[in-house]
Amino acid sequence: MPSWIERKVEEGTDVLYLQGAWRLPHVAAIVDALRALRLKPCERFVVDGSALSELDTSAAFMLLRQLTSVGCTESTLSARGFEPRHLRLIELVRARMATPPSSEHSVHLGVLERVGAAAVRVHRQLASQNAFVGQVALEVASIARAPRLFRPRETIAQFEAVCIDAIPIVALVNFLVGVVIAYVLGVQAQRYGANLFVADGIGLGVCRELAPILASVVVAGRSGAAFTAQIGTMKVEEEIDAISTLGLSPIQVLVIPRLVALVLALPLLVFVGDLAGIAGGMLAGTWQLDIAPRVFLERVHDVLDLTHFVVGVVKAPVFAIAIALIACRMGLAVARDARSVGENTTSTVVQCIVWVILLDAVFAIVFQQMDI
Amino acid sequence: MQSVVVADSIVTRFGKQVVHDGVSFTVGRGEVVALIGGSGSGKSVLLREIIGLKRPASGRIELLGTNVWEASAEELNVVRRRFGVLFQDGALFSSLTVAENVAVPFRENTDLPTDIVAPLTGFKIALVGLPPEAGAKVPAELSGGMRKRAALARALALEPEILFLDEPTSGLDPVGAREFDRLLRTLADSLGLTVFIVTHDVDMLLSVVDRAIALSGGKIVADGPVTAVRDSGDPWLRDYFAAHA
Repeated sequence: MPSWIERKVEEGTDVLYLQGAWRLPHVAAIVDALRALRLKPCERFVVDGSALSELDTSAAFMLLRQLTSVGCTESTLSARGFEPRHLRLIELVRARMATPPSSEHSVHLGVLERVGAAAVRVHRQLASQNAFVGQVALEVASIARAPRLFRPRETIAQFEAVCIDAIPIVALVNFLVGVVIAYVLGVQAQRYGANLFVADGIGLGVCRELAPILASVVVAGRSGAAFTAQIGTMKVEEEIDAISTLGLSPIQVLVIPRLVALVLALPLLVFVGDLAGIAGGMLAGTWQLDIAPRVFLERVHDVLDLTHFVVGVVKAPVFAIAIALIACRMGLAVARDARSVGENTTSTVVQCIVWVILLDAVFAIVFQQMDI
Repeated sequence: MQSVVVADSIVTRFGKQVVHDGVSFTVGRGEVVALIGGSGSGKSVLLREIIGLKRPASGRIELLGTNVWEASAEELNVVRRRFGVLFQDGALFSSLTVAENVAVPFRENTDLPTDIVAPLTGFKIALVGLPPEAGAKVPAELSGGMRKRAALARALALEPEILFLDEPTSGLDPVGAREFDRLLRTLADSLGLTVFIVTHDVDMLLSVVDRAIALSGGKIVADGPVTAVRDSGDPWLRDYFAAHA
């Protein structure tokens, strides 16, 4: 263990001999050695670097910092015996260290401040969402006046991505939920010998509630997240600015094709979900409750009025509008860094699911009042 | 002079396209060397091969005495702690503040206590000429020039022996670019750094660089002091320097 620094008194002056390799890996030991000297303010020091083999900025900084902190100034310090390159380095460090070092830690907020900040954030988001809905409505109106502004090719490409590609996953999710619900219902229904009523439950439950909600949640996670990430990355790459400077409206180019595609896609996905959910219920019915598929389907046919199917499908475009508008707005609201894309994508999925369920509750109340 | 970077007969191919066709050069300790070449000449690719991010089709790269493409992952990591890289757009971690970015190498590669890391971080930020309040900002809040300085502070954190810079002055205004040049020269002289710059900034060549290596058509067309490279007679280099004057 080398001693990094030695203090000697020669002819009435205090001399600090620096020794060894003053490099970053040893900085902690060097700082300890410096502190152990217990230097007092207002003393005059000569710093001798003749035994110094290596010096880097970190070690030089720590030396100067320690000396400055005990009140040494240029007038009470003198250097001798340093190699020219070490002197140059010390000179550079002294010139740059004049600015006070900043603290590394960011500010931490208290609980109350966090709640307040969150409330303000929610308010801002609702306000800007509101403004965005207005903007999109205006752009839709201008397309209605001049239909050539509509972009069929982009819309079709989006439709393929949000609808065709989503069919397998929507079908799978609804099928499995259909199986599970039929199974759970069946356990209860069997006790009363009411096996066949499982078909009622599945038909109504899937068509009115489950298929629309499940399809919307899948679409929110799949397409909503994709919209935000796509548009957000374009924002980071300044593509949105490029679109604007070419005299195009980013809303017409990016938002409306996605909006239209999703409004067309979601009702179709709900229909796929209806079929898959009923098929799942039928499978569980056959296995567990000995209901023949033909009997199950006839029962569904009897109890499932067209109204129930329409109730489910009518909700879909509304959910689609909510998802598309939230996702596109969050994409356009991305700041110019990579982190922001991730944050906004997460937020999109959360907001979309919350809004879908909220709107579904509103629909439930409205339909109840209307006796549908 | 001891060689700290050796590139020997490097061949790089992208599919059928040959980017480097037997590129060889060395960089000595303490030299400030620039690699120049037109857009698409494979300068940045060569840099990525030297620092161990992309494997060349054939050839040998030695960094501080270690063969980069034959070393084990541990050996390569030891070498990696001895050089710093400044990427073209800074490549600062966008979720961290500037000070946290600069502190990352200390946290991950040293066991220094916080009461030493915090002042050191502040000093590194000051060393590259950033104001102290920049430390608390996230990269998105900084201008391009400040981002580059912050990235330089991070690259310098572990007192590297070699500093690799990819287009350090691109995106900076001429005043900012010359300031960056001066900073680099001061650091190189005072710290005894070896600096390897990929650039096409002629002013930078003339003001800070000891030696230039010119890459054109997949080969080294000139290697020597900047004035010698300028007068070497290669048609591309003639146009390159003429375009500046």
